[in-house]
Amino acid sequence: MNLEKIKSDIEAAVPGCRLQIILNGSPSGQHSLLLGREHAVEIARFLRDDPELRLDYCSNVTGVDWLDSETSEKVKVKKLVDGVEQEVEEVRKTRTPGYLEAVYHLYSMEKKHGPLVLRLRPENRTDHVTLPSLTPVWRSAEFQEREIFDLYGIIFEGHPDLRRILMWDEFEDHPMRKDYVEPNDYEYEPTPHDAVLEKSKQARAIEGQR
Amino acid sequence: MNSAFTHIYGPIAILMIAAVGFAIAPLAMAWLWSKKFSPRKPGPVKNATYECGLESNDAFLRFRPEYYLYAIVFLIFDVEAIFLLPFAVAFTGLTVGASIAMLIFLLLLVEGLVWTWRKGVLIWV
Amino acid sequence: MDLELKEALSRQGIFTTTLEELYNWGRRSSVWPLTFGLACCAIEMIATSMARYDLARFGAEVFRPSPRQADLMIVAGTVTKKMAPQVVRLYNQMPEPKYVIAMGACAISGGPFKQGYNVLKGIDRYIPVDVHIPGCPPRPEALMDAFITLQKKIDAQSLTGADRPRHLNAEEPSEFIVPQYGAHDLEPPKNVKLWNIITKNIPNGPGTASDNEPRKD
Repeated sequence: MNLEKIKSDIEAAVPGCRLQIILNGSPSGQHSLLLGREHAVEIARFLRDDPELRLDYCSNVTGVDWLDSETSEKVKVKKLVDGVEQEVEEVRKTRTPGYLEAVYHLYSMEKKHGPLVLRLRPENRTDHVTLPSLTPVWRSAEFQEREIFDLYGIIFEGHPDLRRILMWDEFEDHPMRKDYVEPNDYEYEPTPHDAVLEKSKQARAIEGQR
Repeated sequence: MNSAFTHIYGPIAILMIAAVGFAIAPLAMAWLWSKKFSPRKPGPVKNATYECGLESNDAFLRFRPEYYLYAIVFLIFDVEAIFLLPFAVAFTGLTVGASIAMLIFLLLLVEGLVWTWRKGVLIWV
Repeated sequence: MDLELKEALSRQGIFTTTLEELYNWGRRSSVWPLTFGLACCAIEMIATSMARYDLARFGAEVFRPSPRQADLMIVAGTVTKKMAPQVVRLYNQMPEPKYVIAMGACAISGGPFKQGYNVLKGIDRYIPVDVHIPGCPPRPEALMDAFITLQKKIDAQSLTGADRPRHLNAEEPSEFIVPQYGAHDLEPPKNVKLWNIITKNIPNGPGTASDNEPRKD
Protein backbone atom coordinates (compact mmCIF):
# COMPACT_ATOMS: atom_id res chain seq x y z
CA MET A 1 0.00 0.00 0.00
CA ASN A 2 1.47 3.23 -1.12
CA LEU A 3 0.62 5.94 1.37
CA GLU A 4 1.38 8.73 -1.12
CA LYS A 5 -1.07 7.26 -3.58
CA ILE A 6 -3.73 6.79 -0.96
CA LYS A 7 -3.25 10.39 0.06
CA SER A 8 -3.67 11.69 -3.46
CA ASP A 9 -6.67 9.39 -3.98
CA ILE A 10 -8.33 10.74 -0.87
CA GLU A 11 -7.58 14.30 -1.88
CA ALA A 12 -9.19 13.66 -5.24
CA ALA A 13 -12.25 12.05 -3.68
CA VAL A 14 -12.74 14.42 -0.76
CA PRO A 15 -11.83 17.88 -1.91
CA GLY A 16 -10.61 20.33 0.68
CA CYS A 17 -9.55 17.79 3.27
CA ARG A 18 -6.48 18.16 5.43
CA LEU A 19 -4.09 15.24 5.20
CA GLN A 20 -0.58 14.73 6.38
CA ILE A 21 1.70 11.76 6.21
CA ILE A 22 3.47 11.11 9.49
CA LEU A 23 6.63 9.13 9.01
CA ASN A 24 7.68 6.46 11.41
CA GLY A 25 11.43 6.34 11.79
CA SER A 26 11.57 2.98 13.50
CA PRO A 27 12.49 -0.22 11.62
CA SER A 28 8.84 -1.17 11.26
CA GLY A 29 8.38 1.93 9.15
CA GLN A 30 4.65 1.98 9.72
CA HIS A 31 3.82 5.40 8.43
CA SER A 32 0.47 6.86 9.20
CA LEU A 33 -1.99 9.37 7.89
CA LEU A 34 -3.14 12.30 9.98
CA LEU A 35 -6.68 13.30 9.10
CA GLY A 36 -8.37 16.62 9.56
CA ARG A 37 -11.33 16.43 11.91
CA GLU A 38 -13.82 18.07 9.55
CA HIS A 39 -13.69 15.49 6.78
CA ALA A 40 -12.74 12.41 8.79
CA VAL A 41 -16.05 10.62 8.31
CA GLU A 42 -16.09 11.22 4.53
CA ILE A 43 -12.50 10.03 4.28
CA ALA A 44 -13.35 6.94 6.31
CA ARG A 45 -16.34 6.21 4.05
CA PHE A 46 -14.10 6.60 1.03
CA LEU A 47 -11.46 4.26 2.46
CA ARG A 48 -14.07 1.67 3.20
CA ASP A 49 -15.99 1.86 -0.07
CA ASP A 50 -13.26 2.58 -2.63
CA PRO A 51 -13.01 -0.51 -4.87
CA GLU A 52 -9.24 -0.41 -4.80
CA LEU A 53 -8.78 0.02 -1.09
CA ARG A 54 -11.85 -1.63 0.46
CA LEU A 55 -10.55 -1.18 4.01
CA ASP A 56 -13.54 -2.96 5.47
CA TYR A 57 -12.09 -3.98 8.82
CA CYS A 58 -11.11 -1.68 11.66
CA SER A 59 -9.06 -3.92 13.87
CA ASN A 60 -7.96 -1.55 16.56
CA VAL A 61 -8.71 1.90 17.87
CA THR A 62 -6.58 3.31 20.60
CA GLY A 63 -5.79 6.58 22.30
CA VAL A 64 -2.42 8.19 22.86
CA ASP A 65 -1.52 11.07 25.11
CA TRP A 66 1.65 12.60 23.78
CA LEU A 67 3.76 14.49 26.26
CA ASP A 68 5.25 17.88 25.61
CA SER A 69 8.36 17.04 23.70
CA GLU A 70 11.59 18.90 23.18
CA THR A 71 13.78 18.18 20.21
CA SER A 72 17.24 19.65 19.97
CA GLU A 73 19.34 19.96 16.84
CA LYS A 74 22.81 21.30 16.33
CA VAL A 75 23.05 24.17 13.89
CA LYS A 76 26.20 25.79 12.64
CA VAL A 77 25.89 29.53 12.88
CA LYS A 78 28.33 32.23 11.85
CA LYS A 79 29.03 34.52 14.73
CA LEU A 80 31.42 37.26 15.72
CA VAL A 81 33.64 35.94 18.47
CA ASP A 82 36.25 38.37 19.71
CA GLY A 83 35.91 40.45 16.56
CA VAL A 84 36.56 37.47 14.30
CA GLU A 85 33.84 35.78 12.35
CA GLN A 86 33.75 32.10 13.27
CA GLU A 87 31.50 29.16 12.70
CA VAL A 88 30.02 28.15 16.03
CA GLU A 89 27.81 25.20 16.78
CA GLU A 90 24.62 26.11 18.51
CA VAL A 91 21.94 23.88 19.96
CA ARG A 92 18.46 24.89 18.98
CA LYS A 93 15.58 23.55 20.91
CA THR A 94 12.09 23.25 19.53
CA ARG A 95 9.24 22.58 21.89
CA THR A 96 6.19 20.70 20.70
CA PRO A 97 3.24 20.87 23.06
CA GLY A 98 1.61 17.57 23.94
CA TYR A 99 -1.65 16.50 22.44
CA LEU A 100 -4.22 13.74 22.52
CA GLU A 101 -4.64 11.41 19.63
CA ALA A 102 -6.87 8.57 18.48
CA VAL A 103 -5.28 5.95 16.24
CA TYR A 104 -7.22 3.64 13.94
CA HIS A 105 -5.76 0.53 12.32
CA LEU A 106 -7.53 -0.52 9.16
CA TYR A 107 -7.27 -3.72 7.16
CA SER A 108 -9.04 -5.11 4.16
CA MET A 109 -10.53 -8.55 4.41
CA GLU A 110 -11.45 -8.51 0.76
CA LYS A 111 -8.17 -7.29 -0.73
CA LYS A 112 -6.06 -8.82 2.03
CA HIS A 113 -3.97 -5.77 2.63
CA GLY A 114 -3.25 -3.47 5.51
CA PRO A 115 -2.73 -2.01 7.92
CA LEU A 116 -3.47 1.59 7.17
CA VAL A 117 -2.92 3.70 10.27
CA LEU A 118 -5.10 6.77 10.70
CA ARG A 119 -4.53 9.41 13.32
CA LEU A 120 -7.00 11.98 14.55
CA ARG A 121 -6.15 14.75 16.95
CA PRO A 122 -8.60 16.88 18.90
CA GLU A 123 -7.99 20.59 18.97
CA ASN A 124 -6.62 20.68 22.50
CA ARG A 125 -6.82 18.64 25.64
CA THR A 126 -8.94 20.84 27.84
CA ASP A 127 -12.11 22.22 26.31
CA HIS A 128 -12.11 21.13 22.65
CA VAL A 129 -11.66 17.40 22.98
CA THR A 130 -14.15 16.32 20.36
CA LEU A 131 -13.48 14.08 17.40
CA PRO A 132 -15.91 12.70 14.86
CA SER A 133 -16.85 9.14 15.65
CA LEU A 134 -16.01 6.56 13.01
CA THR A 135 -18.40 4.03 14.52
CA PRO A 136 -21.02 4.70 11.81
CA VAL A 137 -18.40 3.59 9.29
CA TRP A 138 -16.82 0.69 11.17
CA ARG A 139 -19.08 -0.85 13.75
CA SER A 140 -16.14 -2.51 15.50
CA ALA A 141 -14.92 0.88 16.68
CA GLU A 142 -17.85 1.28 19.06
CA PHE A 143 -16.44 -0.23 22.25
CA GLN A 144 -12.92 0.98 21.58
CA GLU A 145 -14.08 4.54 21.11
CA ARG A 146 -15.97 4.21 24.36
CA GLU A 147 -12.76 3.04 25.98
CA ILE A 148 -10.86 6.05 24.63
CA PHE A 149 -13.63 8.30 25.91
CA ASP A 150 -13.36 6.62 29.29
CA LEU A 151 -9.60 6.65 29.67
CA TYR A 152 -8.52 9.70 27.66
CA GLY A 153 -11.59 11.88 27.72
CA ILE A 154 -11.91 12.32 23.97
CA ILE A 155 -15.55 12.91 23.08
CA PHE A 156 -16.61 11.17 19.89
CA GLU A 157 -19.40 13.05 18.17
CA GLY A 158 -21.89 10.82 16.43
CA HIS A 159 -21.16 7.83 18.61
CA PRO A 160 -24.37 5.89 19.23
CA ASP A 161 -23.73 5.09 22.88
CA LEU A 162 -20.95 7.10 24.45
CA ARG A 163 -20.71 5.97 28.05
CA ARG A 164 -17.86 4.92 30.25
CA ILE A 165 -16.98 1.31 29.64
CA LEU A 166 -14.29 0.38 32.17
CA MET A 167 -14.59 2.82 35.04
CA TRP A 168 -17.82 3.40 36.92
CA ASP A 169 -20.25 6.01 35.69
CA GLU A 170 -19.67 8.36 38.61
CA PHE A 171 -15.94 8.55 37.90
CA GLU A 172 -14.80 11.93 36.62
CA ASP A 173 -11.13 11.59 35.73
CA HIS A 174 -9.48 10.07 32.71
CA PRO A 175 -6.85 7.77 34.14
CA MET A 176 -4.73 7.11 31.06
CA ARG A 177 -3.96 10.79 30.58
CA LYS A 178 -0.47 11.74 31.56
CA ASP A 179 -1.70 14.51 33.84
CA TYR A 180 -3.97 12.17 35.79
CA VAL A 181 -3.36 12.43 39.51
CA GLU A 182 -4.23 9.17 41.18
CA PRO A 183 -5.60 9.10 44.71
CA ASN A 184 -2.71 8.39 47.03
CA ASP A 185 -3.65 5.35 49.05
CA TYR A 186 -0.27 3.72 49.19
CA GLU A 187 1.00 2.17 52.36
CA TYR A 188 4.49 1.34 53.47
CA GLU A 189 5.82 -1.96 52.27
CA PRO A 190 9.30 -3.31 51.78
CA THR A 191 9.58 -2.89 48.04
CA PRO A 192 12.32 -1.99 45.59
CA HIS A 193 9.91 0.33 43.77
CA ASP A 194 11.02 3.81 44.71
CA ALA A 195 7.86 5.37 43.30
CA VAL A 196 5.73 3.30 45.66
CA LEU A 197 7.94 4.15 48.63
CA GLU A 198 7.82 7.85 47.81
CA LYS A 199 4.03 7.78 47.48
CA SER A 200 3.63 5.88 50.71
CA LYS A 201 5.80 8.47 52.45
CA GLN A 202 3.58 11.25 51.13
CA ALA A 203 0.46 9.36 52.20
CA ARG A 204 1.92 8.91 55.65
CA ALA A 205 2.67 12.62 55.90
CA ILE A 206 -0.93 13.45 54.96
CA GLU A 207 -2.19 10.88 57.43
CA GLY A 208 0.02 12.28 60.16
CA GLN A 209 -1.43 15.76 59.70
CA ARG A 210 -4.92 14.57 60.42
CA MET B 1 -59.87 -45.86 77.05
CA ASN B 2 -59.63 -49.27 75.45
CA SER B 3 -56.69 -51.18 76.86
CA ALA B 4 -56.27 -53.16 73.63
CA PHE B 5 -55.91 -49.87 71.74
CA THR B 6 -53.11 -48.68 74.03
CA HIS B 7 -51.56 -52.07 73.84
CA ILE B 8 -51.40 -52.06 70.04
CA TYR B 9 -50.66 -48.43 69.27
CA GLY B 10 -48.63 -47.51 72.33
CA PRO B 11 -45.23 -48.44 70.88
CA ILE B 12 -46.03 -46.62 67.67
CA ALA B 13 -46.96 -43.51 69.62
CA ILE B 14 -43.71 -43.74 71.54
CA LEU B 15 -41.79 -44.17 68.29
CA MET B 16 -43.60 -41.18 66.83
CA ILE B 17 -42.65 -39.04 69.78
CA ALA B 18 -39.07 -40.28 69.57
CA ALA B 19 -38.93 -39.54 65.83
CA VAL B 20 -40.26 -36.01 66.29
CA GLY B 21 -37.85 -35.59 69.18
CA PHE B 22 -34.93 -36.64 67.03
CA ALA B 23 -35.91 -34.06 64.47
CA ILE B 24 -36.54 -31.29 66.94
CA ALA B 25 -33.67 -31.93 69.39
CA PRO B 26 -30.81 -30.74 67.14
CA LEU B 27 -32.78 -27.67 66.15
CA ALA B 28 -33.58 -26.92 69.75
CA MET B 29 -29.97 -27.42 70.75
CA ALA B 30 -28.79 -25.13 67.98
CA TRP B 31 -31.34 -22.56 69.07
CA LEU B 32 -30.25 -22.79 72.67
CA TRP B 33 -26.60 -22.63 71.62
CA SER B 34 -27.18 -19.46 69.65
CA LYS B 35 -29.10 -17.98 72.59
CA LYS B 36 -26.21 -18.72 74.91
CA PHE B 37 -23.18 -17.97 72.76
CA SER B 38 -23.76 -16.35 69.37
CA PRO B 39 -25.53 -13.04 69.41
CA ARG B 40 -27.74 -12.21 66.48
CA LYS B 41 -26.34 -9.47 64.30
CA PRO B 42 -28.81 -8.49 61.63
CA GLY B 43 -28.03 -5.53 59.43
CA PRO B 44 -29.39 -3.72 56.39
CA VAL B 45 -26.84 -5.20 53.99
CA LYS B 46 -26.87 -8.63 55.58
CA ASN B 47 -30.64 -8.90 55.35
CA ALA B 48 -30.82 -7.45 51.86
CA THR B 49 -31.87 -9.56 48.91
CA TYR B 50 -28.96 -11.54 47.54
CA GLU B 51 -28.07 -10.28 44.08
CA CYS B 52 -24.54 -11.59 43.58
CA GLY B 53 -23.16 -8.66 45.53
CA LEU B 54 -25.02 -6.00 43.60
CA GLU B 55 -27.61 -3.83 45.20
CA SER B 56 -31.07 -5.16 44.64
CA ASN B 57 -33.54 -2.54 43.61
CA ASP B 58 -36.86 -3.71 42.25
CA ALA B 59 -36.22 -7.41 41.95
CA PHE B 60 -38.90 -9.91 42.95
CA LEU B 61 -41.70 -7.44 42.38
CA ARG B 62 -42.86 -8.91 39.12
CA PHE B 63 -43.55 -12.59 38.85
CA ARG B 64 -44.63 -13.93 35.52
CA PRO B 65 -46.13 -17.42 35.67
CA GLU B 66 -45.45 -18.19 32.05
CA TYR B 67 -44.32 -21.73 32.75
CA TYR B 68 -47.83 -22.50 33.94
CA LEU B 69 -48.82 -22.80 30.29
CA TYR B 70 -46.04 -25.27 29.64
CA ALA B 71 -47.26 -27.34 32.54
CA ILE B 72 -50.80 -27.47 31.10
CA VAL B 73 -49.58 -28.40 27.63
CA PHE B 74 -47.33 -31.06 29.12
CA LEU B 75 -50.31 -32.54 31.01
CA ILE B 76 -52.50 -32.61 27.90
CA PHE B 77 -50.06 -34.13 25.47
CA ASP B 78 -47.79 -36.22 27.64
CA VAL B 79 -49.44 -37.33 30.86
CA GLU B 80 -52.76 -37.90 29.12
CA ALA B 81 -51.10 -40.33 26.69
CA ILE B 82 -49.83 -42.42 29.59
CA PHE B 83 -53.40 -42.89 30.81
CA LEU B 84 -54.92 -43.30 27.37
CA LEU B 85 -52.83 -46.32 26.42
CA PRO B 86 -53.95 -48.61 29.30
CA PHE B 87 -57.46 -47.22 28.88
CA ALA B 88 -57.48 -48.28 25.23
CA VAL B 89 -56.00 -51.71 25.98
CA ALA B 90 -58.50 -52.51 28.71
CA PHE B 91 -61.42 -50.72 27.05
CA THR B 92 -63.56 -53.79 26.22
CA GLY B 93 -63.35 -55.17 29.74
CA LEU B 94 -64.19 -51.95 31.54
CA THR B 95 -67.38 -51.26 33.41
CA VAL B 96 -69.58 -48.33 32.56
CA GLY B 97 -68.51 -46.47 35.72
CA ALA B 98 -64.83 -46.75 34.88
CA SER B 99 -65.44 -45.53 31.34
CA ILE B 100 -67.38 -42.52 32.60
CA ALA B 101 -64.61 -41.70 35.09
CA MET B 102 -62.06 -41.86 32.33
CA LEU B 103 -64.18 -39.66 30.08
CA ILE B 104 -64.49 -37.06 32.83
CA PHE B 105 -60.71 -37.13 33.17
CA LEU B 106 -60.35 -36.62 29.43
CA LEU B 107 -62.96 -33.86 29.47
CA LEU B 108 -61.02 -31.96 32.11
CA LEU B 109 -57.89 -32.13 30.01
CA VAL B 110 -59.74 -31.22 26.83
CA GLU B 111 -61.04 -28.18 28.66
CA GLY B 112 -57.43 -27.19 29.25
CA LEU B 113 -56.65 -27.83 25.60
CA VAL B 114 -59.50 -25.57 24.51
CA TRP B 115 -58.31 -22.88 26.90
CA THR B 116 -54.72 -22.97 25.66
CA TRP B 117 -55.93 -23.09 22.07
CA ARG B 118 -57.98 -19.96 22.59
CA LYS B 119 -55.00 -18.31 24.29
CA GLY B 120 -52.97 -18.93 21.17
CA VAL B 121 -50.33 -20.95 22.97
CA LEU B 122 -50.40 -23.74 20.41
CA ILE B 123 -49.26 -21.46 17.61
CA TRP B 124 -45.54 -22.02 17.35
CA VAL B 125 -43.57 -18.85 16.59
CA MET C 1 -10.04 -30.58 82.21
CA ASP C 2 -6.52 -31.37 83.18
CA LEU C 3 -4.39 -31.92 80.11
CA GLU C 4 -2.33 -34.72 81.63
CA LEU C 5 -5.40 -36.61 82.75
CA LYS C 6 -6.84 -36.22 79.29
CA GLU C 7 -3.73 -37.65 77.69
CA ALA C 8 -3.63 -40.51 80.14
CA LEU C 9 -7.25 -41.30 79.40
CA SER C 10 -6.73 -41.15 75.67
CA ARG C 11 -3.86 -43.61 76.02
CA GLN C 12 -6.34 -45.95 77.65
CA GLY C 13 -8.72 -45.50 74.72
CA ILE C 14 -11.08 -43.08 76.45
CA PHE C 15 -11.75 -39.98 74.45
CA THR C 16 -12.64 -36.85 76.37
CA THR C 17 -13.45 -33.46 75.05
CA THR C 18 -14.82 -30.12 76.05
CA LEU C 19 -17.74 -28.29 74.56
CA GLU C 20 -15.36 -25.71 73.18
CA GLU C 21 -13.18 -28.28 71.45
CA LEU C 22 -16.21 -30.04 70.03
CA TYR C 23 -17.59 -26.77 68.75
CA ASN C 24 -14.30 -25.75 67.14
CA TRP C 25 -13.83 -29.21 65.68
CA GLY C 26 -17.26 -29.02 64.08
CA ARG C 27 -16.64 -25.58 62.69
CA ARG C 28 -13.19 -26.20 61.31
CA SER C 29 -14.19 -29.47 59.70
CA SER C 30 -16.90 -27.90 57.58
CA VAL C 31 -15.67 -24.54 56.41
CA TRP C 32 -17.58 -24.02 53.21
CA PRO C 33 -16.15 -21.49 50.83
CA LEU C 34 -18.15 -19.11 48.71
CA THR C 35 -18.01 -19.83 45.00
CA PHE C 36 -16.47 -16.87 43.32
CA GLY C 37 -13.21 -16.03 41.63
CA LEU C 38 -11.98 -12.65 40.55
CA ALA C 39 -8.97 -13.41 38.36
CA CYS C 40 -6.31 -15.98 37.57
CA CYS C 41 -5.93 -17.15 41.19
CA ALA C 42 -9.40 -18.60 40.86
CA ILE C 43 -8.02 -21.19 38.46
CA GLU C 44 -5.65 -22.38 41.17
CA MET C 45 -8.53 -22.38 43.64
CA ILE C 46 -10.56 -24.55 41.27
CA ALA C 47 -7.59 -26.87 40.86
CA THR C 48 -7.33 -27.13 44.64
CA SER C 49 -10.91 -28.24 44.92
CA MET C 50 -10.48 -30.89 42.23
CA ALA C 51 -9.33 -34.48 42.61
CA ARG C 52 -5.58 -33.98 42.44
CA TYR C 53 -5.32 -31.66 45.42
CA ASP C 54 -8.68 -32.53 46.92
CA LEU C 55 -9.66 -29.77 49.31
CA ALA C 56 -12.45 -32.12 50.44
CA ARG C 57 -9.95 -33.74 52.79
CA PHE C 58 -10.31 -30.67 54.97
CA GLY C 59 -14.07 -30.50 54.79
CA ALA C 60 -14.16 -27.60 52.38
CA GLU C 61 -15.30 -29.27 49.20
CA VAL C 62 -18.73 -27.73 49.21
CA PHE C 63 -18.36 -24.42 47.40
CA ARG C 64 -21.61 -22.63 48.05
CA PRO C 65 -23.06 -20.41 45.36
CA SER C 66 -24.86 -18.26 47.93
CA PRO C 67 -23.25 -16.24 50.70
CA ARG C 68 -26.05 -17.30 53.03
CA GLN C 69 -24.58 -20.78 53.29
CA ALA C 70 -20.87 -19.97 53.11
CA ASP C 71 -18.38 -19.62 55.94
CA LEU C 72 -15.25 -18.71 54.05
CA MET C 73 -14.56 -16.14 51.41
CA ILE C 74 -11.52 -16.91 49.30
CA VAL C 75 -10.69 -13.61 47.61
CA ALA C 76 -8.93 -15.20 44.66
CA GLY C 77 -7.60 -12.59 42.32
CA THR C 78 -7.29 -8.93 41.54
CA VAL C 79 -9.91 -6.82 43.26
CA THR C 80 -10.65 -3.91 41.01
CA LYS C 81 -12.14 -0.79 42.50
CA LYS C 82 -15.24 -1.41 40.45
CA MET C 83 -15.59 -4.88 41.99
CA ALA C 84 -14.71 -4.00 45.59
CA PRO C 85 -18.22 -2.90 46.69
CA GLN C 86 -19.66 -6.17 45.46
CA VAL C 87 -17.03 -8.20 47.31
CA VAL C 88 -17.65 -6.31 50.54
CA ARG C 89 -21.41 -6.65 50.12
CA LEU C 90 -21.07 -10.40 49.63
CA TYR C 91 -18.93 -10.59 52.74
CA ASN C 92 -21.55 -8.67 54.68
CA GLN C 93 -24.25 -11.04 53.49
CA MET C 94 -22.44 -14.08 54.82
CA PRO C 95 -23.70 -15.33 58.19
CA GLU C 96 -21.32 -15.41 61.09
CA PRO C 97 -18.82 -16.96 61.79
CA LYS C 98 -17.12 -15.95 58.57
CA TYR C 99 -13.51 -16.04 57.50
CA VAL C 100 -11.52 -14.53 54.68
CA ILE C 101 -8.48 -15.86 52.87
CA ALA C 102 -6.77 -13.27 50.67
CA MET C 103 -5.25 -15.39 47.95
CA GLY C 104 -2.44 -14.06 45.83
CA ALA C 105 -0.43 -10.88 45.58
CA CYS C 106 -3.31 -8.89 44.10
CA ALA C 107 -5.79 -9.64 46.85
CA ILE C 108 -3.15 -8.86 49.46
CA SER C 109 -1.77 -5.59 48.12
CA GLY C 110 -2.69 -5.04 44.49
CA GLY C 111 0.29 -7.09 43.41
CA PRO C 112 1.75 -6.31 40.01
CA PHE C 113 -1.16 -3.95 39.36
CA LYS C 114 -0.65 -1.93 42.53
CA GLN C 115 0.04 1.27 40.63
CA GLY C 116 -2.88 0.74 38.30
CA TYR C 117 -5.67 3.27 38.42
CA ASN C 118 -8.44 0.78 39.01
CA VAL C 119 -6.92 -1.81 41.33
CA LEU C 120 -7.66 -1.94 45.01
CA LYS C 121 -4.42 -2.14 46.98
CA GLY C 122 -5.49 -5.09 49.07
CA ILE C 123 -8.92 -6.31 50.11
CA ASP C 124 -7.99 -5.89 53.79
CA ARG C 125 -8.77 -2.22 53.39
CA TYR C 126 -12.44 -3.15 53.61
CA ILE C 127 -12.83 -6.57 55.22
CA PRO C 128 -10.85 -8.34 57.94
CA VAL C 129 -8.57 -10.96 56.42
CA ASP C 130 -7.65 -14.04 58.42
CA VAL C 131 -4.99 -15.59 56.22
CA HIS C 132 -2.89 -13.98 53.48
CA ILE C 133 -1.27 -16.19 50.86
CA PRO C 134 1.49 -14.60 48.81
CA GLY C 135 2.20 -15.81 45.30
CA CYS C 136 1.27 -14.92 41.78
CA PRO C 137 -0.67 -17.12 41.68
CA PRO C 138 -0.12 -19.28 44.77
CA ARG C 139 0.08 -22.97 44.09
CA PRO C 140 -2.73 -25.21 45.33
CA GLU C 141 -0.43 -26.40 48.11
CA ALA C 142 -0.22 -22.81 49.32
CA LEU C 143 -4.00 -22.52 49.41
CA MET C 144 -4.21 -25.76 51.36
CA ASP C 145 -1.57 -24.46 53.74
CA ALA C 146 -3.62 -21.31 54.22
CA PHE C 147 -6.62 -23.47 54.83
CA ILE C 148 -4.82 -25.52 57.48
CA THR C 149 -3.63 -22.27 59.05
CA LEU C 150 -7.23 -21.12 59.21
CA GLN C 151 -8.25 -24.40 60.79
CA LYS C 152 -5.57 -23.99 63.43
CA LYS C 153 -6.83 -20.49 64.06
CA ILE C 154 -10.38 -21.75 64.49
CA ASP C 155 -9.14 -24.50 66.78
CA ALA C 156 -7.51 -21.99 69.09
CA GLN C 157 -10.59 -19.82 69.46
CA SER C 158 -12.24 -19.74 72.83
CA LEU C 159 -15.94 -19.84 73.42
CA THR C 160 -16.10 -17.28 76.19
CA GLY C 161 -13.92 -14.58 77.61
CA ALA C 162 -12.60 -11.31 76.32
CA ASP C 163 -10.56 -12.84 73.49
CA ARG C 164 -13.45 -14.78 72.04
CA PRO C 165 -13.83 -14.49 68.27
CA ARG C 166 -15.80 -11.73 66.66
CA HIS C 167 -18.93 -13.70 65.91
CA LEU C 168 -19.42 -14.54 69.58
CA ASN C 169 -19.12 -10.94 70.68
CA ALA C 170 -22.26 -8.87 70.42
CA GLU C 171 -20.31 -5.61 70.35
CA GLU C 172 -18.18 -6.52 67.35
CA PRO C 173 -19.70 -5.66 64.00
CA SER C 174 -20.82 -8.25 61.50
CA GLU C 175 -21.11 -5.77 58.65
CA PHE C 176 -18.45 -3.49 57.28
CA ILE C 177 -18.77 -0.30 55.29
CA VAL C 178 -19.58 -0.95 51.67
CA PRO C 179 -17.59 1.56 49.61
CA GLN C 180 -19.45 3.76 47.17
CA TYR C 181 -18.30 4.83 43.74
CA GLY C 182 -16.91 8.33 44.09
CA ALA C 183 -15.81 10.96 41.61
CA HIS C 184 -12.11 10.13 41.96
CA ASP C 185 -11.89 7.04 44.13
CA LEU C 186 -14.01 4.74 46.22
CA GLU C 187 -15.71 6.47 49.12
CA PRO C 188 -14.31 5.88 51.68
CA PRO C 189 -10.95 4.74 50.25
CA LYS C 190 -10.43 2.46 53.24
CA ASN C 191 -12.17 1.31 56.36
CA VAL C 192 -10.14 3.13 59.00
CA LYS C 193 -11.30 0.74 61.71
CA LEU C 194 -9.60 -2.10 59.89
CA TRP C 195 -6.86 -0.40 57.99
CA ASN C 196 -4.45 1.69 59.99
CA ILE C 197 -1.22 0.24 58.72
CA ILE C 198 -0.17 3.51 57.09
CA THR C 199 0.40 5.09 60.48
CA LYS C 200 1.41 1.89 62.15
CA ASN C 201 4.21 -0.66 62.12
CA ILE C 202 6.64 1.65 60.41
CA PRO C 203 9.93 2.51 62.03
CA ASN C 204 9.65 6.13 63.22
CA GLY C 205 6.36 6.58 61.43
CA PRO C 206 3.73 8.83 62.96
CA GLY C 207 1.48 6.99 65.34
CA THR C 208 3.91 4.21 66.18
CA ALA C 209 3.76 4.90 69.87
CA SER C 210 0.01 5.04 70.17
CA ASP C 211 -2.00 2.14 68.80
CA ASN C 212 0.43 -0.63 68.20
CA GLU C 213 -1.49 -3.58 69.51
CA PRO C 214 -2.40 -6.11 66.84
CA ARG C 215 -5.92 -6.11 65.58
CA LYS C 216 -8.01 -8.97 66.85
CA ASP C 217 -10.98 -10.57 65.20
